[in-house]
Amino acid sequence: MTLKRLAILLCVVAFLALFNAFAVWGIFVLYMDGRYSLAIVLGILTVLIDLFVLNPKGYPYRYMIPALVLLFTLTLYPMYYTFEVAFTNFGTGHLFTRPEVVQRLLNEYYFIPEEPTEYDFSVFLRIRDYKPTDDFILLFERIDDGEEFFSAKPDIVTRDSQGNILRAVGTLHEGTVDSAKIDSKNYRIIRDPETQRIITLISETGEAYQYFYAPKDPDVRANAPYFFSEIRGIWLRNAEFTDDTGNQIRLSPQTLFTTFATIERQYGLRTITDFSGPRPEQRTVVYNRETDQNLAERDGTFYDIDEFGREFSVMGYVANVGFRQFRRLLEDPRIRGPFLAIFSWTFTWAGLSVLFSFTVGLALAITLNDRRLMGKKLYRTLLIIPWAIPSFISVLVWRNGLFNETYGILNRFLVTGLFGAEPIRWLGEAFWARVSVLMVNTWLGFPYMMTVCLGALQSIPDEFYEAASIDGASRVQQFGRITFPLLMVTVAPLLVGSFAFNFNNFVGIFLLTEGGPPIPGATTPAGSTDILISYTYKLAFYGRGQDFGFASAISIIIFAIVAGFSWLNFKISRSFEEVSR
Amino acid sequence: MKRFLVIVFLVLLISSFAGAGLVIWSSESQVPALERLAAEFERDYGIRVEIQQVVFGDIKSKFLPAAPAGEGPDIIIGAHDWVGELAMDGLLEPIPFLPQRDLYYDVAVEAFSYGGRLYGLPYALESIAIIYNKDLIFEDEVPTTIAELESIAMEVADDEIVGFVYDAPNFYFSFPFIAGYGGYIFKDTPEGLDVDDIGLNNPGAAEGVALIRSWFDMGLMPRGANYSLMDGLFIEGLAAFIINGPWATPLYRDAGIDYGIIPFSDIYLEPGVTPKPFVGVQGFMINSRSRSKIEAIEFVVNYIGSYRGQKAIFEIERRGVVRSDLYAEVEAEGGPELYDIIQFSASASVGTPMPNIPEMAAVWGSMEDALNLVINAQDTVGNALDAAVEKIKAAIQ
Repeated sequence: MTLKRLAILLCVVAFLALFNAFAVWGIFVLYMDGRYSLAIVLGILTVLIDLFVLNPKGYPYRYMIPALVLLFTLTLYPMYYTFEVAFTNFGTGHLFTRPEVVQRLLNEYYFIPEEPTEYDFSVFLRIRDYKPTDDFILLFERIDDGEEFFSAKPDIVTRDSQGNILRAVGTLHEGTVDSAKIDSKNYRIIRDPETQRIITLISETGEAYQYFYAPKDPDVRANAPYFFSEIRGIWLRNAEFTDDTGNQIRLSPQTLFTTFATIERQYGLRTITDFSGPRPEQRTVVYNRETDQNLAERDGTFYDIDEFGREFSVMGYVANVGFRQFRRLLEDPRIRGPFLAIFSWTFTWAGLSVLFSFTVGLALAITLNDRRLMGKKLYRTLLIIPWAIPSFISVLVWRNGLFNETYGILNRFLVTGLFGAEPIRWLGEAFWARVSVLMVNTWLGFPYMMTVCLGALQSIPDEFYEAASIDGASRVQQFGRITFPLLMVTVAPLLVGSFAFNFNNFVGIFLLTEGGPPIPGATTPAGSTDILISYTYKLAFYGRGQDFGFASAISIIIFAIVAGFSWLNFKISRSFEEVSR
Repeated sequence: MKRFLVIVFLVLLISSFAGAGLVIWSSESQVPALERLAAEFERDYGIRVEIQQVVFGDIKSKFLPAAPAGEGPDIIIGAHDWVGELAMDGLLEPIPFLPQRDLYYDVAVEAFSYGGRLYGLPYALESIAIIYNKDLIFEDEVPTTIAELESIAMEVADDEIVGFVYDAPNFYFSFPFIAGYGGYIFKDTPEGLDVDDIGLNNPGAAEGVALIRSWFDMGLMPRGANYSLMDGLFIEGLAAFIINGPWATPLYRDAGIDYGIIPFSDIYLEPGVTPKPFVGVQGFMINSRSRSKIEAIEFVVNYIGSYRGQKAIFEIERRGVVRSDLYAEVEAEGGPELYDIIQFSASASVGTPMPNIPEMAAVWGSMEDALNLVINAQDTVGNALDAAVEKIKAAIQ
């Protein structure tokens, strides 16, 4: 017995240790990645889990751990993240942080000066034990005048966290026909007597550097893979060499990296004195080194000025914009204009969806609950079908098979076929489109209501009805006085939930009508069946790319509305509970 | 717990494997050709190229969150209309230099240009055209004007057969007629598209939309026309004329439909004026956060951009080519197998590239609204288009 308990304890401890190791590793990775909030969430979670497992008093909470994990990762963190994003301009054009953007402006933008100096280059490599090493010398030949320069392996200035070289620098040294002095070391040069091309460089300590690779020489193509992966890929990718005029040369993108050329960084940092404030202020700004203009910085975007004197955006970053996204909700005419119409339709839609599906569901439940009904199981199975089919399929069937104006079953067989009336523009006219979405949503929603009501009906004791019939109550009276109030005790909270669900039933609207038909003359993308969530989705994602900041602000507002109404609904529905007391 | 561990594990896995060789996200169809080119690159450069299959529709949506975190692939294969958004986000690396630029069709290179820089190497283009059922339309009555098409379609139509049907409310399919008469989305200027000059409510656009409306008014086109309806009718042999793209014709062939293709270059709205379809271009784009940018550029430019590379892809994935030298070869070869490609390429030759700027997102919905209103006779052409332009302006302000 004790042995078994010991084994279990060991298992738990081992598991916990493993878990903690993983968690700490995860926190570290997240922290290094700059995802502080996620790291904090993971940290809190780890501490809580350890506490529950190690503290004897926390024993019962152990069983909550899976729920806790899901709560933190799928509910609390997304909520926190939504709040965080709602106060930023995160979205298309604003994905990186400001330091990241400044780094990229400084390191990734180059321009080619008006008269660039270009150099062909060749690599001379030390071979040891018949294997190439990464010790090399570069020969640069200036294309203009054929002048030769040499450089040793560049010195590393910065590396990234993975050890990749971000910046390496070197200097070009002149040589003579048979010797060169590179970084204060002397080398002897051996040339091919016929072509005068350099074959080998030998250092004063006797190390030989063999001609290994040149981009334009087909004879050394066999060495290309080694050069690309081991020499250029590591050492030359981000190398800068200073030539005899003091200019920087790098691998030239213009020749697809087959030459070195003078290339200047487009942007630099400098300090300016800002006199616009109450007192002069020193500020560091990014400036264009080609035009000597400071970049303007507004709304989380850097703007430069092009050759025609017009401003263009260079790059945006995620900036804190305070309450701007919320203010947009209040001030934007695109939202203010159709807001009331959409808001009232959202309520109508959610309310009627609940009302219709509940009514149909209840009626069917009462029918199915009747003892005299034969084949209950068959009916019940058939009636559950709308619930079981994925709405992505069934709504498309409704849309194309039933509501199509020319070919849909409703128009073809019922409206024109049976009644001989003009075809109804189901999805083309505002009123009928609203009828359509409500029909489909009722069809999708009644099986749930029916199931819920069936359960609730079965929990009402038969004695109540017996007593009622003895007292002479009619069936209608029985329903009104017994069935309905008792049913509501169980079902009312579910109706509230259903209301909240339909309030945000984006899929129900978008699959069938995409919010359409459009409102004639409207200058906003609002459609007749658009509910709050589908309309604001269009605003956030159908404008200029994706506007996550705005979308988050909207979600928070809609959450507040739904939460408020649910709270109110619960208060009202509590009155039903009093009936049962 | 398990889920959590899996997430943590994945994070670690991704961060430890990033940076090894080149990674390409490609949809299924090009993979065999890419594998061949990748093997050549690996041989010449000693750098491994890994081709990861991603469903085409997921490439952009997965790239968007992955790339800023430094976890994306080095190269993606996608549609040119992603360029504006991705470049604005700072996620694409410009291609510094395109050898043999003059051999590429301008429309293909322009499609991948944004703000004066080239952000992708094109390899395939496509456009829509009019497709007809040869069982219903005889070779000698293939129309050369839209008016002829209307009268032939009216003649063919009966209780069952539909003369002419296409996804009319969809701006993509209706654009040829709007642009044919002189409508334009954003004014094309030497410095790029001018988003302040919208030409979707000019007289030309109105004439095009009025033409589309007339097809519904005269009973030529069934109300409620949409893509799946058109597709279904044509497959069942119940539609004479439709408008669709090269992606659909293999299905029609498999369904046993004997179809012909009328490129928009061969049908006139009025003398000398053809409809102008959108041209969609596919190409290779380079992740600006890639740790192997140089190699990615070399692979894309030297191995995909070369005649050999383009041909290798064409042989696997039969789509409209973007290089004139390759097209000349395709045209000379001819034959039934290349009929579709030649016809759709001809259609593209009178087309304009779909704008690649992010502002385009606002155009689709607004114009679909306008077309729906007009087709359903809920508003006049002029009012609907004015409202659409207002919507676009409000959305992109």
